[in-house]
Parts: sequence; structure tokens; C-alpha cells
Amino acid sequence: MLIDSILSDKEGSASRNFLVSALFWSVLGMGAGLGGALEFSIPDLVHNVPQLSMPHLRMFHVNAVTIGWLSMGYVGSMFYMVPALTKTKLWSERLGNLVMWAWNLVMVGAFCTLLNGNTEGREYAELGAVLDVMVMFALIAVSLNIYMTVVNRKVKKLYVSLWYFLGSLFWFPLVYIIGQRTFVQLPGLNDAIIGWFYGHNILGMWFTTIGVGMMYYLLPRLTNAPLYSHGLSMLGFWGIALFYAPTGTHHILQSPVPEWLKAIAVISSIFLLVPVLTVLTNFFMTMKGKWGMVVTDLPLRFAVTSSVFYLITCTQGPFQATRWINWYLHFTQWVVGHAHLALLGTFSFILSSAVYYGLPRLTGRQWYSQGLIRAHWWLKFLGFTLMMVSLTIAGLIQAAGWAFGIPVDQWGLQIRPYWALRSISGVMIVLGQLIFAYNAFKSLYVPAKVEVKAKPAEVKA
Amino acid sequence: MNGYRLGAIGIVITFFTIVTATVLLPMVLFNPKPSGHGNNYVVANIEVDPARGRRIYIREGCFYCHTQFTRPQDRGYGPLVKAGDYVFETPHQLGTARTAPDLTNEGGKYPSEWQKAHLVNPRAMKPGSIMPSFSFLSNRDMNDLVSYIQTLGNERPVQAYVQAPDEYKIALSMKTVDTNSDAAANAGRGIYTQNCSGCHGLQGTGNGPNSISIEKKPANFTRPFYKQYDDAFWFYRITEGVPGTRMPRWGDGGSLWDPRSGLLTHEQRWYLVAYLKTLQKDAEVTVNKLDQLDKVQQTKLPVLTRQRFEPATGGGD
Repeated sequence: MLIDSILSDKEGSASRNFLVSALFWSVLGMGAGLGGALEFSIPDLVHNVPQLSMPHLRMFHVNAVTIGWLSMGYVGSMFYMVPALTKTKLWSERLGNLVMWAWNLVMVGAFCTLLNGNTEGREYAELGAVLDVMVMFALIAVSLNIYMTVVNRKVKKLYVSLWYFLGSLFWFPLVYIIGQRTFVQLPGLNDAIIGWFYGHNILGMWFTTIGVGMMYYLLPRLTNAPLYSHGLSMLGFWGIALFYAPTGTHHILQSPVPEWLKAIAVISSIFLLVPVLTVLTNFFMTMKGKWGMVVTDLPLRFAVTSSVFYLITCTQGPFQATRWINWYLHFTQWVVGHAHLALLGTFSFILSSAVYYGLPRLTGRQWYSQGLIRAHWWLKFLGFTLMMVSLTIAGLIQAAGWAFGIPVDQWGLQIRPYWALRSISGVMIVLGQLIFAYNAFKSLYVPAKVEVKAKPAEVKA
Repeated sequence: MNGYRLGAIGIVITFFTIVTATVLLPMVLFNPKPSGHGNNYVVANIEVDPARGRRIYIREGCFYCHTQFTRPQDRGYGPLVKAGDYVFETPHQLGTARTAPDLTNEGGKYPSEWQKAHLVNPRAMKPGSIMPSFSFLSNRDMNDLVSYIQTLGNERPVQAYVQAPDEYKIALSMKTVDTNSDAAANAGRGIYTQNCSGCHGLQGTGNGPNSISIEKKPANFTRPFYKQYDDAFWFYRITEGVPGTRMPRWGDGGSLWDPRSGLLTHEQRWYLVAYLKTLQKDAEVTVNKLDQLDKVQQTKLPVLTRQRFEPATGGGD
């Protein structure tokens, strides 16, 4: 039946399809990012092609990696983690697959519109009205699916991952609805306040909370060790729920928005250290005595790398949000490095870990090559470290330039080597992601062959 | 949610409290009145439409690199913005990163033809710029976009010019030289000829021999613009140089509290201030033909404008 192949109700199919689509969009999204990065180094690389001009590539890059790669991957991971944690089936695989198609349609729409500059002009909320509504319904359908799965659960107690998932699936659709401002016309600064409420909370109430929930699921599974403390994990959950949401205004600290709002944002940003440190204490104590496992266990290596990057990004964040450091660092590439540290360093790595852990269990096929997984990790890790270092240095040069009132065309020349370094790091990251996608393609779609030893002549040719 | 009712209630209450505090409250309490200094996008000219230009600004994603608000610490980007300036700016274009100059007060900074040429080929107008070329824009798009750029900050009159840092007010109080006297100006002329004329030229027109090789050209002190500089600001510029240019720090190695320290002592710097204040003319001197231009300067000392007594040696035509 056609309906069965399109809207399959096979167990685990929605999860698998979501993860595979996420991989597809990640390659396109990261490729667009690389294209943009190259145009920083070679501004005349593409001439007279509006679809490939840097701002259009950037719009698509941001939306493809957030809405495409990370969000689709998160939904896919939740679709296999939640049934495992509740010891039941997903409430409706058909609904899950329907949402999967809708979400892919949104991404095709994003590809067609954003590269032509058909945008709402709001950062992180670039998608047009139709796509906004589709994403909203998709989010609500995912929430319904997961909530009904939890209602039908066979285990009485809710593990902490489920707290994170359920919390995020409650507040993120609301944050998305508030943040899009598709059908309202607010005066400029009010628009900016809501814009940053959304811009920060797509990270804080979706990528962070789901990502941390996934880490709570993966670390004990991969190390075969119990979680260090359930009490600490609850403290971390409530800390994030309390302190993450009001921090948005720290993105516009020097603009003429109300001072009390800035004060709320700065104070809650500093308080964020509390949940972050409790969460990480929990992770690192769970890992106690098992650190050696990262040498051989590759999904675990991704998860641990992710938690280390989480430590760095979340110690940077609260300090950057204080007025005096923000005074110096705001508007510079340092912030871009920080954003990549969160989305690429932390959440992309934990999602990769979830895919490496989940796909074999969903499909019953082993990974095509362990070597390619290793190559993926090394390319991503080295590439990302290079990107972080170059963007941070570029940011410091820029910050000094603004602080001393030096004209842009003067410090602009000083950071050109770092644009070049970032392009190199981009090549490494995209290559890593391509290897990831190739590995997944080989494992899922190419039937495993009986090993035949090649003759020396064939190897030479 | 058996057994988890309290948790669920907690999450809902927490979330809605935060939304009320940080989203609804600002919408209710924060309603800035139009200040009259921001754009209101009322079309005055039927040839070009700045409101449409703004949509092109958004479409081409200019806001990823250009910001539109001046911060208290920014120098050289014009007057500080106020909350009321943004009432008609929807969606907001405050921007997030400054990979490029701030555009808050960009209007009128360059001629429209320059802006168009810069959009088509940025590197021809600003060497070293990494702005993408927008040569694919149609003529109408380009005109509207430039008209939008030219409206930025036009309604925001300049109220205060850049000021010397506070410690230079103290240096001003320690001044031992009457910077309005001709004697001090005369003393400063010698110091100027020895130290400054290499770049700024003997007549202060900014065309000394070194100016050929300097990318950021030296200041032309005969411009009426420099009339607004007060003593403290002249002293500050001489002492600390000008960031981003070849202008040296003549106070190098010294401190503000020791009048005898630095490459030039405080006294010498104040003499220089007295001289520099005499150089401004009421209007720029322009020439119509190239051969009227002083290509090679004759070695002659400049005329002092407030000269009462002809000095015994030097100067004069």
C-alpha cells in the first residue's frame, strides 16, 4: 500500500526517518555556512548570483542547522528515547511520519525562499508566514505524540530526561508562537525585546533542554552506570526552567530598552551558572572511573566531548552577559564563536552521539565503518576547535578596534587571517558531516556484502 | 500525569510568570513616544521610496553585518540613539554583529553616487572591504536602497561633538600657556614646522610629503570643521594621537601629571595648540584647475592670521 510506504506505522520508522532527514539537511546547512565563510575570505568568489550571496547563505545556514539538522534530529532522538524510557510504543508512528514529511516540506520551502531573500528580516525567525504556521503545527503534533506516549507509559516513575523533554515540548511551541511575530507589527524596540526573548530561548528552552535530556539518557546507557544523583538532576532542571527564559535582553544591553529588563536579563544569566554546574557535576560524577571508555566507545566519545564543550560555553555565557564584559565583546566574532560552541560544539556532538547510538538499534544494521566514525569525530573536533580559536581571536581584535574607535577598514585587515582559518575549519567540519552522512547511507541503504578480498591488481587500478 | 501534577503545575506557572515578566510587561510598560529624530518612512519623493529600500535592506540581509544603534562607547558614529527613534522600525534592524560599520547615522555621509558605486563594487570604493557585491540589484532596487541609506539618522541633529576624556579637563586646568595669544602661536609654529609639517604640510592643509604614502590622509587644519575643537580636545589629540591613523602619540612616555614628560613637553604641546587654532579658514579653498593646485610646496613659512606685529625673521609672502 502506498500509504504504508509513505506513512509507515512500522515501529521506529518515524524516528529513523527524522534522523536521516536531519542528516540530509545538516550537510546542506553546514555547506551553506562554509560557503558564507569562504565569502568572508574571498568576497568576490561569487558574482551576480543573488542566491549565493553571503547574507542569503547565512539565512539558510542558520535555519537549516537549527530547524533542519538540530530540531529534526532532536525529534527523531526523542521518538526512540521516550518509548525506551516509558517501555511502550510511540503513540502514533503514522503521525510521526506525517510530521516528518511536513517538516521536510518546511525545509524545502526554507531552501527556496531564504536563498532568494524572502525573509521576515528577524534574526532566527527568518521563515515566512506559511512556513511559520507549518512549523508550529508540526511542533504541536510532536508534543501531542510524545505526551500521549508518556501517558501510556508502563513505568510509573519519570526519568529526568522525560522531565526535560516534556518541559521543552510544553514551552517551546509557545516560545515559537510568541517569537515569530508573523502577524503583529510591534514598534521597533518592543520587536527587539520579543525577538531576543525568542532568539535566546530557541537555544535555552529547546536546544539546551532537549540536548541535556539526551545527555542524561545517553551517558548512563553508554557507560552502563547509574546516574550519579537524581536530586541534582531535578535541581538542574528547575534551575534551567527558572533562569534561562528571562535572559534574552542581554543581547541588547547597550540599546535604549528599559533598564529593569536588562537587570533581569543580566541577573538571571549569572544565576544560570547554578543549573549548568549541577548538570555538569552530575555528568562528570556519572563518568567517574569510566573516562577510559571514550577511547573505544565512539558514541560515548561524542557525548563526553559535548559535555566538555557545554562546560566551556556555559562558563563563557554568564560572564559575557555581565555589563562590563558585554561592553567590550558585544557585536564581535567572539559572540559568533560562542554561538557555534553551543550549537555545533555541544548540541551537534550530542545529537551525533544519539544518532550513532540510535540508528543501529532502530534498523538492526551496524555502522558501515568504525573508522569513518573516528574520522568524523576527529574532523569535527579539530575543525571546531580551530573555528573557535580563530573566531575568538578575531573577536578580541574586533573588540579592541571598537573600544579604541579604530575605523572598520583598519581592523578589518587585521582579522583576514582568521577568516581564512575559519574557512579551513569549515572545510573540515563539512567534510566530517559528509563522512557521517556517507556512513549512514552505506549502513542503511547498501546491503551488507560478503567480504571478498580484492586482488592486488584491482587495488592498484 | 499521575503523581506529577505538582511538577506540571510548577512548569506551567514558572513559564507563564517569566513570559509575563519579560514579554508582556515590557509591551505594556515600555511605550516610547516617537522622538521625532527617527525615520517615519513618509514618502516625500515619488522617484524613490525609502520604505521599499528598507525592505530591500532586509531582503539582502544587510542586518547580519551592519547594526543600527550607536552605543555610549562608540566613537565617530554620530549622536546616541533614544528609545523614541525606533517607533516606526518594524521589524527592528538593530543587528547583532558588527562585521561592518554601524549605519545609524549613515545618511549624508557619502554622496548617493558613491553609495551606488560602493554597492556595485565595494572594493573599488573601500580597499580591503569584505562586503559582498550587490551588482545583481536592479536599478530601481538600487535607487530605493540608496535612498533608504541616505535617510538613516538624517532626523537626528548633532547636539554634542566628541569630547576629550575627563582627565584632559584636569590637564586643561594645569595649562601654563595662554593658547589665545599670538606669542604662544608663534612659539607653536616652530614646533609645528619641525614635528608636524612632514605629514600635515607647512600650511596645515594635510598635504605634506609623507601624506602621499599614508593610506588614512592627515588632517587638513584649514577646514572650518576644526573650529569646533576646544583646547582640551586639541591637547588630547596631540597627546594620544588618532587611533587608526599614522598620527603619533606626542605624549608618549609621559604622564598627564608630569608637565615635563613625553616626546613633546606639556608646554610645547600647548604652544602647538595655540598655533593650530590659528589655521582654520572660513571656507575651504578650492581650485578649478589642476595647475592651480600646489603640487610641490615651496619652502616658506605660513602666514599667521591673527598677526599684529611682523616678527623679525621668517614668514610672510
